[in-house]
Amino acid sequence: MTKLPRYPVRGSRRLAVFCALLLAVLLWAPEPVHADVEQDFLLFPSVDGFERFSDSDPANDGFSDHVMVDFLYTLNSDRFRLLAEYFWSNKESELERFQAAWLIKDATTLWAGRFHSISNYWASEFHHGVYLQTTISRPGLDQWEDDSGPMPSHITGLEFDQQFELRGGAGLRLGLVAGLAPTFAGSELVPYDLINSSSGHENAYEARLIYQPEMLSRSQVGLSAARNEIAVDSSSSPDLANLDNIRQVTVGVFIDWEWPKWHLLTNWVYFDIEMDYVGARVKDDFVLAYVQAEYDASDKWTLFARTEFGFDEDYSPYLRLLPAFVAHRHMLGARWDFADSQALTAEIADTSTQGDDFSHDNFKELRFQWSAVFP
Amino acid sequence: MECGVPVIPRRRQFLLALVLTLFMQTSWADREVVLVTGKDSAVSSLGALDIRKAFLGIAVLVDGEPVRAIRRRDDVRLNEIFLQSVMAMSQKSYDRRILSLALKYGTPRPDQVDDAAELASLLERSYAGIGYMWRADAENEDRVRIIGVLWRGP
Repeated sequence: MTKLPRYPVRGSRRLAVFCALLLAVLLWAPEPVHADVEQDFLLFPSVDGFERFSDSDPANDGFSDHVMVDFLYTLNSDRFRLLAEYFWSNKESELERFQAAWLIKDATTLWAGRFHSISNYWASEFHHGVYLQTTISRPGLDQWEDDSGPMPSHITGLEFDQQFELRGGAGLRLGLVAGLAPTFAGSELVPYDLINSSSGHENAYEARLIYQPEMLSRSQVGLSAARNEIAVDSSSSPDLANLDNIRQVTVGVFIDWEWPKWHLLTNWVYFDIEMDYVGARVKDDFVLAYVQAEYDASDKWTLFARTEFGFDEDYSPYLRLLPAFVAHRHMLGARWDFADSQALTAEIADTSTQGDDFSHDNFKELRFQWSAVFP
Repeated sequence: MECGVPVIPRRRQFLLALVLTLFMQTSWADREVVLVTGKDSAVSSLGALDIRKAFLGIAVLVDGEPVRAIRRRDDVRLNEIFLQSVMAMSQKSYDRRILSLALKYGTPRPDQVDDAAELASLLERSYAGIGYMWRADAENEDRVRIIGVLWRGP
């Protein structure tokens, strides 16, 4: 991870404050009275094969594979909860989440640590549990930071989570987050790394409100808002020369709705961005969105399709800094569930990435995946 | 006697029908699925929503302690009734919901046991544990206490 030398004192102080807060939460948690300690361990392995075809850029065509394992460990003891998620693949490995919680009441939780951003729908819903997402690919809007995702997917700080029961079994869920935003280095956002921590991270604030017509089901409608101050490592790329800071405000609405045979998932996010260059400020705003539909053809077979699009995003100066960002994708696929907790999935897509300038790179994708969860 | 088949007198037919009906009624009464807890547990009663929450692993507190729900996986019919009448979900939806909650919030997945005796043993040792059994099994098990009826047979 690139070190940012410009904010050393502030970053160290924030880390010390974070550690103190984490310690305070752990000390504040009451002693277990009845010693019912529950530990759980889940393993989400998957293997992807990816073939790319294009007319315009055959040099980048070809086959690639991706072997991944996500390890999830949880510990529950009375009102204390610990969650750790470690992701390993043949391309990277990272401590994705490490968070501790105190259950203040049965519907009120305070988390401290590194967690997935609540304004990034896909990250907060599926995390790295590939088996639980029906599709192989993630939408460009909700992509991870190191895959050219345009918004933070990891925050380190505090998260307050409150559920409200409404009449008729409906529910509201409120989430509030304050923490450290990613920095921008090279051609991607770089989240705070708990193991290899660096200074220079600015503030992130997030809020999310979810309505569930039946609070124990999956169907939900939500609003999210975030403000991220993103420090830029100007020396990490010529494209970032003279760029000091990015202020990103997002407002989103998402719907995740289940019917007996159908499932609809859509997310629309408005970006308002200010990029502070030396002596100039560049303003940018655009909308990114996707709509995904799934059809349960039988207990074992699911057919799905997704379209990803935007408004005013094609000439965005901010997205130009993310050349691998998937700007448009029209995708079809099928998934076969077998042996209780394993699945085989295939996808075909027509995709455009942002490219090095305002002209997109267009290509076709063919993906295959085996995914599972154990035990 | 015709065709070699014995004919039962009408009075005997009536008595036989009466005995069979009484026997079947007793049988149906036994075909209840009940919610049980340990005999010394802190749990006295739970509402339908709290029962569903507990069996998804979501925190439900009794005397400040989380309720620990335990599932049966040995009895196919009992499991079907549990999913349809209590959780109102298919097996696939229930399994995915539990996995999703574990992944999102670290929600503990409910324990699973293979027979009524193992369930009773776990409940006896748990401060706020709950599980489900056929009424007949629960009434024969002195380590558990019935705190509600989840399903009645037709």
